[in-house]
Amino acid sequence: MLNRQPGDRTLPTLVTLLVLGMLLMTFDVRSEGQGVTSVLRTGTQTIVAPLQKGAAFLVNPVLDVVDSLANIAILRETNLILQREVAELEAELISVDDDLARLEFYEQLYDLEATGTDIGRTVAEVIGRVDPLDKSLIIDKGTNEGIAVGQPVIDTNGYVVGSVQQVTGGTARVVPITVGSDGVAVAVGEQLGVVLPQINDNILRLEVNPAREPVLAGEKVVTSSQSVRFPAGYPVGEVIVDAAPSGADSLSTLVEPYMNPDNIRVVVVLAWPPDPVAAVTESTTTTTSSTSTTLDGSTTTSTVDGDG
Amino acid sequence: MRLRTVLVVASLLLVAILVQTTLFSQTEIFVPDLVMLVVILLSLTRLRPEAVLAIAFLGGLSIDLLGSSVLGLRAMVFTIVAYLALRTRERADLGRVVIGLWAGLLTLGGVLLLLVVGTLFGQTVLLGDGVVGLLLLVPAANTILTWIFAPMVVRFIDRDTTAFRYA
Repeated sequence: MLNRQPGDRTLPTLVTLLVLGMLLMTFDVRSEGQGVTSVLRTGTQTIVAPLQKGAAFLVNPVLDVVDSLANIAILRETNLILQREVAELEAELISVDDDLARLEFYEQLYDLEATGTDIGRTVAEVIGRVDPLDKSLIIDKGTNEGIAVGQPVIDTNGYVVGSVQQVTGGTARVVPITVGSDGVAVAVGEQLGVVLPQINDNILRLEVNPAREPVLAGEKVVTSSQSVRFPAGYPVGEVIVDAAPSGADSLSTLVEPYMNPDNIRVVVVLAWPPDPVAAVTESTTTTTSSTSTTLDGSTTTSTVDGDG
Repeated sequence: MRLRTVLVVASLLLVAILVQTTLFSQTEIFVPDLVMLVVILLSLTRLRPEAVLAIAFLGGLSIDLLGSSVLGLRAMVFTIVAYLALRTRERADLGRVVIGLWAGLLTLGGVLLLLVVGTLFGQTVLLGDGVVGLLLLVPAANTILTWIFAPMVVRFIDRDTTAFRYA
């Protein structure tokens, strides 16, 4: 006779749930996070976002106090350094104001107009992460503030952080370049390459192919004009190991990113590209860029998408 | 499950999710996995084992829906952790310290499983900087929290003031 004790149904329940979990994973991977799973994620985040914002509103001041107490010994010194920096920056600002006034004068003199290519910026606060392992950041701005999936994110110093992966009305999730599955097309000097994340490391791997000349430690790495995910010229990091082209005219070295996702509290989301039609094209090409890594242009990548 | 129990468990999970995604997402040393911890603590209560498994699955699924990794990953891992917890809870019931260590070991198993299955499914977002350190930090934090909160949680859910009173 079958024993109907409650504990006896534990194993069948486990197996059922594991099969369900496996099906969900397969479905999510196959649909590349789009469709039903995307709707589910957006719905859940929309429900939880106000609560998260409320919790962050309560928790952040407490964390700030704890942080201040922990660093009380160096606060005075830090304050002095910051005061000095503020004085220097104020002097620079006056100089920039003078330059702007002169520029405005010349624009009026020669009847020039702005090209309208300025990139819109939305400042957002990081309200948290999902769990200790998941390095993506949750920010407190969403579609209500004009944020869209795929938009690039920088920190307050202008260093590249990552890109928006998921967005709801009031929040968005940002995946840093140090853990994202896609590489970033970059320029080192006059050479073009791609930086890729590494496992268990904040350091990025730089691959240049074809490589014409060596890359030296200390060289700046910035986003390239061939990038479909980031506007050109934004600082990514600094080369930390010298490397010379190998036999196959390629080189590989390491890049230390300027930003550290663990310390970021405020980010800036760039409304890029400014043209929404281009934005749609870019977002579709982003998924393929990781496989090709040589970002040859929208025509080629679109074709790959169509084939895929 | 009675309505009170359902509400208590749902509230517990919601608080765990909120505290984890806000407070403990900004700490560097003390980094517990609160949802996994809640699942482990629920296995110590008198809730039906199938209900604990279902709660573990839903808790994991909630984190999956909020996170950036593949849907179902944590749901599966938390369910397995809950099953292991249910199967071994009798052996851990020797004292608060032992229960804390037991929860730490289960958490270690859960984090390892999460990384292994995540790697198999190409979840690079889980394999960022300091992942090896987290293998120690997350179980350690869960051990401490279990040592402190396990009796309170079990007594509250089971409405049994005699639970976890060791001579």
